[in-house]
Formats: sequence, structure tokens, C-alpha cells
Amino acid sequence: MEKFMVIGERIHCISPTIRKALDARDPEPILKRAKEQIEAGAAYLDVNIGPAEKDGEELMQWVVELIQSECDNVPLALDTANKKAIEAGIKVYNRSKGKPIVNSADAGERIDNINLAAANDAMVIALCASEGIPADNDERMMYCQQMLERAMEAGMEPEDLLFDPLFLVIKGMQEKQVEVLEAVRMMSEMGLKTTGGLSNVSNGAPKELRPVLDAYTVAMAMMCGLTSAIANPCDKKVMEAIKTCDMILGKTLYADSFLEL
Amino acid sequence: MAYKKAAKKYSGEIREVTLGSGDKAVAIGGKNVLPIHSFDGNVGNPPKIGLEIVDIVPEDWHDDLKKIYDGVLEDTAEWAKFAVDNFAPDFICLRFAGADPDGKNKSVEECVETAKKVAAAVDLPLVIAGTKNVEKDEKLFSAVAEALAGENVLILSAREENYKTVGAAGALAYKHKIAAETSVDINLAKQLNILMNQLGVQNEDLVMNVGSAAVGYGFEYLSSTMDRIILAALGQNDSTLQMPIITPVSTETWTVKESAASEDDEPAWGSSIERAIQMEVATAAAVLVSGADAIIVRHPKSLATMKTFISNMLGSGLN
Repeated sequence: MEKFMVIGERIHCISPTIRKALDARDPEPILKRAKEQIEAGAAYLDVNIGPAEKDGEELMQWVVELIQSECDNVPLALDTANKKAIEAGIKVYNRSKGKPIVNSADAGERIDNINLAAANDAMVIALCASEGIPADNDERMMYCQQMLERAMEAGMEPEDLLFDPLFLVIKGMQEKQVEVLEAVRMMSEMGLKTTGGLSNVSNGAPKELRPVLDAYTVAMAMMCGLTSAIANPCDKKVMEAIKTCDMILGKTLYADSFLEL
Repeated sequence: MAYKKAAKKYSGEIREVTLGSGDKAVAIGGKNVLPIHSFDGNVGNPPKIGLEIVDIVPEDWHDDLKKIYDGVLEDTAEWAKFAVDNFAPDFICLRFAGADPDGKNKSVEECVETAKKVAAAVDLPLVIAGTKNVEKDEKLFSAVAEALAGENVLILSAREENYKTVGAAGALAYKHKIAAETSVDINLAKQLNILMNQLGVQNEDLVMNVGSAAVGYGFEYLSSTMDRIILAALGQNDSTLQMPIITPVSTETWTVKESAASEDDEPAWGSSIERAIQMEVATAAAVLVSGADAIIVRHPKSLATMKTFISNMLGSGLN
């Protein structure tokens, strides 16, 4: 009955500030976001350096060492399409607070990332998709099985895989929402750990509504067994939902100050 | 297939807290498994047992118990020294029963003098217990904390009503350890630790007194509360509950009827002092297996029995 694990999403090259800091090897904006997220309750930080085709290896090593040395070896999810950059990052990664997470593998072209994780004693986010969005849960669960088998063959423990059912945008794919929640439930019933990009669900919605959509989605998904999410820990509504659900589910003990922890 | 021993692993562990100073300092806590589950992992420091003494001649104590301390009861420092020299407890709990406004109502200044003399007479760690009157204890603890600066005593205890003063004087100003006391209330136990943290008291300086009960007097509730606290501390890695636990046993067990009833009133129950020791030992042993890291008893025989119990339970050959 572990607490819900928040993987902070805010060190992402899609943010102009982070993009610029990564390009210029400027520590300050990256560390600021790292510290804010840890303070707000992130257990892991996702580090997305983009495709990083040119200097990915050097860049990933720089950012991993930077964040871990300044933030008490906070555990990280290494997020890039560049496999060599992930491997390079793992080489300099300090495991004292948790294994690195490879972000991510899927059941298609990126399935080899499972082997990459296995070879490096890392965890891996296993996205239950191959090409595009799975048509239904039969397809999702087939991918889930395929990746689980691949991992077992490679000698991984199931608990080192975080299965991502692929959260979908509400505005536009409303009819898919319950299906995704049901996928979380099926994976949880198999005893598997789960995760997902929470803010996908609120893409395109007005800014003031995004925390509401994210918070209610995570609460319903936690009821279905969701064990972690890639989310914005600085979003107060989302964190309140997660802390409250953890408590209702008996994963943390109630105290009047529970929201302040 | 060969038998494979499965060990229960937890993600959290109970912090180690050191009481006292110098060679005789004792560490409590440090376990990362359930109490005495040495087959699962590290049981930390063996539980420590302290003897209770009081700052006045304890009129309400059993005559046979007072007889043991004949000649030293009038002088608390002599009493402390006698107890240490003859019975080798792990620590001394000095309880200021005489400061109680409903009793002798001794002044804070008198208590400070007593505390200083006791601290000078013994080199074991001291646990300073109060009157249960929150206003008096607040003043008493603040003054004793100042007078005993450097001794690293455990102040027993800070409660919801007075934690700010007791925490600020005891831990922040004079660097002692503080026991956060709640009355068998798991949510308040956690909350009081959080409030202490918010006051600035470090977890390393905190111990919990989560309440006490004699066996047969709501003990199951105490035991289940301790279980849940330890399971949250270990299993959920809840840092707000990873303090070692101290449980005062004597103040509960000597007043229940099994201990207090006279042999005239209950001729079938046998020796009253034997009954009282049995109640104290039964409760102390039950509290120990429920997870207490330090226990306070009154009778030297209870102390000796518990020390034997601990060394037998945690000694070699049990793994």
C-alpha cells in the first residue's frame, strides 16, 4: 500500500524557459523548477530533453548530474527518444533514492526500451500503444501483455514496469474516458503498477479548467488503482486530490494538517 | 523444493534518538521491522527500561515498595543514586508529583533545585515527568530545561495544549528531547508531531508517548493504536510517525484494583505486592511487544524481569 507517486512533469523541453536553459547549459531555471516540484510533493522528476539527436548523451549527463547533485539525489525519469542519451544518463545516475525510470517504451517501435531498462536495472514506463491510439481495451491489454512478457524474458521484475494506459484528451475524446479508467482497473487487478500523463486529459481546455479536469480524473483513476502519474505537482488542486485520495484509500494516515505535508 | 525464508521488508524505519550525554547516553529506536521481529530485519536498539522516582515521599506507594528505598526517600538525589547503584536501570524517570497544584504544589524553583541535584548525583539519562497539569508542567518543564541545559534529558511530555512552550524551551532553546504526548489517538499523535515540526523541532529530537493503559483497562485499544502507528511509520514510510515510542507503565498499573486492593479486601488474590508487580510486568511486556522503545516501571523487580525478558527475546539463537 504505497503512497501515490507523482512524477513531476515540469522539466520539459516544450517549455521555452527549459529549452533555452538546456541549450545554454544554464543551471538556474532547471534547478528552480526541480526544487519547486520536490517541495510541492514530487517523488520523481521527469527530465525531457526532447529528441536531442545531436548532443543528447552529453546533455542528459549534464542535466542528470546537475539535478541530482543539487537536489539530494532526487530520482529521475529520463525522457527522450534518443536511446543513447538515456543510457548515458543512467551511467552517471545516483540510485540512492530510487532507480532511474526509462520514459518510455511502447509495444511498437520503442519496445526495445524495455530491454534497455532491463540491461541497466532501471524501471520503465510501458505505454500500452503501438501505432496511434489503441482502438479499445482489448488492444490495450494485448500491448500490456506483450510488454510484460518482453520484460519477464529480459529478467525484469513486474514491479519495475509502470504501465501507461494512455490518458486521452477529454475535449474531443470524451467517449474514451471510461475505457481508459477501466484499463487502469484491469492492470491493477493483475497486480501491475500504472502511470500516465495526467495533463493529457485537459489539453485544449481553458486554463482555469485544467486543474479541475486533472484533479477529478486522477481521483477517479486512483479509485481504479492508478499508482502514479506524470503530473504537475505545483498544481494545488491536483495535489489536494492525490493527498485526499491516498488518505481515503488508507495509504496515508489522517492528521488535520494532511494537506500541508 | 527447498524452503525459502521470506522476510517482510518495510520502506521506513524508526529513527534513533539518543538520550543523556557522555558514556551513559542511551539510544532508542532504530528498527526497520515490527517489534522483536528479528527474523525480518534490524530490530534496532533493544528496548530500554527506566525506573521511576518522585520528588516527594510517595505516600500513595505500596509499603513494601517504599521499604526498598528506606532511608533515601526523603532525598530525591540520594534515591536516584541508590536506584542506579543497586538496580542498574537504563535511565531514571524523575516525576515531579510534588509540583501538582492539587497536591503539595511545590514551586518551580524547588523543583529546579531537585532536578539539578538528581542530575549531579547520577550520570544515567534522565526523563523528566510532570504533573499532568498542563499549565504547571509548561512552567516546570521550561525552568528545568534551562537548568539542565547540556544534559540532553527527555521531557515527558508536551501535549496539544502546551507543546509550543514546552517544545520551544525544551528542544529549541536548551536542546533536550521532547516526548509528544497524546491519549491513544492515532490521528492526534501524527498531528502533534507535525505541529512540533512546524514549530521548528526536528524529528531527531522527538519521541512519542502515544498513551498508556494497564492490561485489562483498554489495553487492546492502546496496542492497536501502536500497531497502526508503527505500520504507518514502516510500511507507508510516514516520516511524521517515525519517532521512537516511550510508554510510562507504572503510572497506570499501580492504581488499578488488581494492584491496589488490600489483602484484607481481597484475601483470595494473594500478596498485594506480588499482584502489583505482576500487573506492572504484564503491562510492560505487552507494551514492549506492541512496539515501545522505552518503558518506565516502578518496582526494581519489574525492571529486572523486563531486562531478562528483553535479553531472552532479543538475545542470540532466536533468529
